Amino acid sequence: MTETVIVTQGLTKAYGHTQALRGLDLEVRQGEVFGFLGPNGSGKTTTIRILLDLIRASSGTATVLGLDPRHDGVALRRRLGYLEGDFVVDGRQTAGELLRYLGHLRGGVPPARITELSERLGLELDRKIKTLSKGNRQKVGLIQAFMHEPELLILDEPTSGLDPFLQQEFTAMTREVTAEGRTVFMSSHVMSEVQKTSDRVGILRDGVLTSVDTVESLRASTTRRVEVHFDREVGPEAFADVPGVSELSVSGALLRCRLDGPADALLKVLAAHTVVSLTSVEPDLEELFMDRYGQGPDAEVSA
Amino acid sequence: MIRTVFAKWLWDSRRFLLGWTAAIVFVGCGYAAFWQTFEDPEVAELLENYPQAILEALNYTDITTAEGYLSATVYGLVVAVLMIVFSISVGTRIVAGEEEAGVLDLTLSHPVSRLSLALQRVAAYVTAVLAMLAVFWVAMVAISGPASFDSIPVGRLAAMHLHLAAFAVLFGTLTYAVGAATGRRAFALATGSGFAVLAYAMSGLIPQMEGMEWVRDWSPFTWLNGSEPLVHGLDGGHLAIMLTLSLVFVAVGTVAFQRRDLAV
Ligand SMILES: Nc1ncnc2c1ncn2[C@@H]1O[C@H](COP(=O)(O)OP(=O)(O)OP(=O)(O)O)[C@@H](O)[C@H]1O
Ligand SMILES: [Mg+2]
Repeated sequence: MTETVIVTQGLTKAYGHTQALRGLDLEVRQGEVFGFLGPNGSGKTTTIRILLDLIRASSGTATVLGLDPRHDGVALRRRLGYLEGDFVVDGRQTAGELLRYLGHLRGGVPPARITELSERLGLELDRKIKTLSKGNRQKVGLIQAFMHEPELLILDEPTSGLDPFLQQEFTAMTREVTAEGRTVFMSSHVMSEVQKTSDRVGILRDGVLTSVDTVESLRASTTRRVEVHFDREVGPEAFADVPGVSELSVSGALLRCRLDGPADALLKVLAAHTVVSLTSVEPDLEELFMDRYGQGPDAEVSA
Repeated sequence: MIRTVFAKWLWDSRRFLLGWTAAIVFVGCGYAAFWQTFEDPEVAELLENYPQAILEALNYTDITTAEGYLSATVYGLVVAVLMIVFSISVGTRIVAGEEEAGVLDLTLSHPVSRLSLALQRVAAYVTAVLAMLAVFWVAMVAISGPASFDSIPVGRLAAMHLHLAAFAVLFGTLTYAVGAATGRRAFALATGSGFAVLAYAMSGLIPQMEGMEWVRDWSPFTWLNGSEPLVHGLDGGHLAIMLTLSLVFVAVGTVAFQRRDLAV
């Protein structure tokens, strides 16, 4: 059994003049959920499609489950489950027909397994796919990726279109996969979603991996925007020196600031006042990049 | 139970295939039934007064026998054109159409090689062509008595249908090859249609130009019925040319398909 299930070294991919990947070094370990996070156009889908041998890298190497996708594609894909970022199929068939057919391509999936998953996610198998809503179509995609219990699941934005209940169910399903020592590699551009499901997160920017971290350490270092309404006017003095607080602005009964690290110290100071409301907003991904890695969107220009 | 790419393609295309089969049977038999009118001596005389050049351009040189009539109108024109349109339409869908619709990724993320996917689909298409022309053959045999062309042996009719199948596959495989190599439906469609127009011109218009008579021998329409399969049966040489070209198209298209990136 392999310890690392996905290894890429110096992977690059050019589409004409667009450089989608610029030397990607990635390592995904067996039994983990690896969140592959990056803004639109950062190269997530490109990486994933190279791993499946749907497209070919311009240079560099990729090894998945110990195999080279380029030369052992069929043997490799037998052991994979894959969900495309944009799951489209011929809508004139029913979900059940499609899933049974795909099961056969995989050498047979017990019908009971398909039924079990469809009941779990609440999918009607005898509906024509074109009559299904976007979320229900995504369920078909999830079922075909999970149904044969593959060693490795490669999922491109798997939770797009799913409601909170299904997102939760999805998280549970990934947990079950890793509990059996199997591995999940999933992409996303929603930080909060990755935090819920993943063990480790790799952040991709402009085709290179800028950092790999556990979710705990990411969360601890996360910056928040805090907004507090008091019942009366307050002065800024008491808050200026609170550890982690910066970009402080106080106007009348409203306080705004940026908070890095634990919220404890700020809360203790706030407690001395009457707080009407308090909001703490986690930054979106782009803000996280800029704050944590000191790279704005134009970073390449100055670098 | 659908277990293979081959069976899946046929099953998913069932309505399309039935529709085309019906069209070919009705149009083909309709034209064939028209033969009785031409048998009339007055019509024959009328045709004899037509300028020879026009008749040649229309491929209507020997329209006064059942074999000549069927070969020129039904097999050489109407059904030939229907089979070309069918084949080009399927040829674009085998890879390029699916790829542009974004549904190819799913199959190819399964343990199916591109080689196997492509060959299974091409095989399914060829099977469909053979099945359609077999049904059409049965229909032609059935009406041959009432439409008074039962002087033609059923074996000769079968030979004609096989020529037609090889002829259609020539267009289907060329279209497939361009689609598989480029992933672009429009390129495949343009190449297939362009080839069809060229083939038609090579059998009628171009040979009438000064010193261009030789071109006729290289037109697929000549390979289709130039040897008069309804009279002489199968023509090994013409069949071999069509099948060899088709194999080359499939080979080149499939190799190129395996080497390139798939569009999302
Ligand atoms: N077929 C293609 N031809 C040309 N450029 C492409 C092609 N596919 C992707 N790109 C470019 O490569 C870069 C990476 O794209 P990719 O789809 O991998 O990003 P992504 O991280 O998956 O983005 P998203 O979050 O929007 O799905 C982008 O700049 C994109 O425009
Ligand atoms: Mg993507």
